[in-house]
Amino acid sequence: MKKIDIGDGAAIPSPDDKQLLSAWWIAFVGTIALLIALPIYDPDTYGAVLAFIPDGIQVTFEVTILSIALALIIGLITGLGRISENRIFNLLASLYVEVVRGIPLLVQLFYIYFALGRIVQVPDIVAAVIAMSFCYGAYMGEVFRAGIMSIDFGQSEAALAQGFNKAQTMRYVILPQAWRTILPPVGNEFIALLKDTSLVSILAVADILRRGREYAASSFDYFETYTIIALVYLLITLILSKLLAHMEQRLNYYEKR
Amino acid sequence: MKNVDPIIAIHNVTKYYDRFRALNNVSLDIFPGEKVVVLGPSGSGKSTLLRTINQLETIDSGTIIVDEHNLGDPGEDIHKIRMNMGMVFQSFNLYRHKTVLENLTLAPIKLRKMHPDEAKSLAMVLLEKVGISDKAASYPAMLSGGQQQRVAIARALAMEPKIMLFDEPTSALDPEMIGEVLEVMVKLAQEGMTMIVVTHEMGFAREVADKIIFMDGGEIIESETPERFFENPSQERTIKFLEQIL
Ligand SMILES: Nc1ncnc2c1ncn2[C@@H]1O[C@H](COP(=O)(O)OP(=O)(O)OP(=O)(O)O)[C@@H](O)[C@H]1O
Ligand SMILES: [Mg+2]
Repeated sequence: MKKIDIGDGAAIPSPDDKQLLSAWWIAFVGTIALLIALPIYDPDTYGAVLAFIPDGIQVTFEVTILSIALALIIGLITGLGRISENRIFNLLASLYVEVVRGIPLLVQLFYIYFALGRIVQVPDIVAAVIAMSFCYGAYMGEVFRAGIMSIDFGQSEAALAQGFNKAQTMRYVILPQAWRTILPPVGNEFIALLKDTSLVSILAVADILRRGREYAASSFDYFETYTIIALVYLLITLILSKLLAHMEQRLNYYEKR
Repeated sequence: MKNVDPIIAIHNVTKYYDRFRALNNVSLDIFPGEKVVVLGPSGSGKSTLLRTINQLETIDSGTIIVDEHNLGDPGEDIHKIRMNMGMVFQSFNLYRHKTVLENLTLAPIKLRKMHPDEAKSLAMVLLEKVGISDKAASYPAMLSGGQQQRVAIARALAMEPKIMLFDEPTSALDPEMIGEVLEVMVKLAQEGMTMIVVTHEMGFAREVADKIIFMDGGEIIESETPERFFENPSQERTIKFLEQIL
């Protein structure tokens, strides 16, 4: 099986990579220990921050999950466009990928946020989701494209020879198999996206980072605040990477062991 | 046999890959129930010919009529026509994410709108026939090459086709597995299936073929009964080919 390597985001521990696995455990246990010990050590600073940001965690998750869902849809369409024989569809998809890749995410966020603001009044969180998924949809498109192309052409031929049309072949034969190849990089993108949602804190979205900044601005406990914020992000990404590694293993059910 | 209409009528077909002419003015009639074995050296256009019959390859000129459907007619639905033609590939191409049973039921359920229970019982009958019903719940990756190819034949049969196309079905197999696949094909031939088989198995060709087609350089050089083809080859290129492989 070909692996798609898009080196970004947290590494997903693979079951045969024992070293990464143990690194994961050390990081995981250490993070939890610090998140418990620090607030006990100084409840007025560390403890207070930790009590202040849970609302932000929820917002971060909302933005992440909505964005990834939308990015997956955009990505599927873009990926299909990139391999399409339809010139116009293909060109549009390529153009989109090219444009998104060439502009920093932060600039895109500002741009979409303010451009949207000129046309319609939408809640900040909606603008943030649209901007994030617009950007990540392009990356996801490349992941889908690579995943679809990694499937042996014989699979399509067999389906076409049976009488399936192209769309049915994609749906029943190619995508279910591509999904397996796609999941690890999608998982990486998911984690990368979760981290990148911290950028939306500069739009008025009350995510983890934003909540932390609000707390720090009133208490002046900058060091303690950012320590806790870093630990919270780390804990979330560690848990997610573990979950994804687990899912990845289960998706391999039909290959020889 | 010749007073019925051919089920496949290939007429003056030429096919290019870019500027390379893979088929040159090929004509061939195949009648219902006929078994045609296609022989020829590598690169002679055997696969190309086979694949034009179900339009996996398009043609540049000539006509192909399958079961009264002209493949060149834009009004024809090629997907419907393909449903009546099974194809077996050298590399099996079983759906890797589906169990053996699901490999057989997918197309009948989705394309023939067969009830899943009916599709399953048909599939089990076919798996029984190719001698592999005990593997119904396995995934292709867990089967040997010979087993996979027998499943592939059963998968094609599950659509209840009128014609079966085989492109070197045993060429990717270990020698000890060739027999089990040929056995299934012989059985199918005896049941009266119309078959076009590209193969290098001369024993099979001799035993099963009604007609042997010999191709070279994108042309049909000879079209003979197996007796005449093997005992009295008339063309120089055929003689050379037979000398090399026998
Ligand atoms: N998709 C393609 N693009 C370009 N050339 C091709 C393509 N497919 C086949 N050819 C060429 O067309 C010629 C005929 O190919 P074909 O596969 O029909 O031969 P074959 O008789 O089946 O050979 P083999 O016994 O090796 O399978 C060969 O020279 C081959 O290189
Ligand atoms: Mg061939």
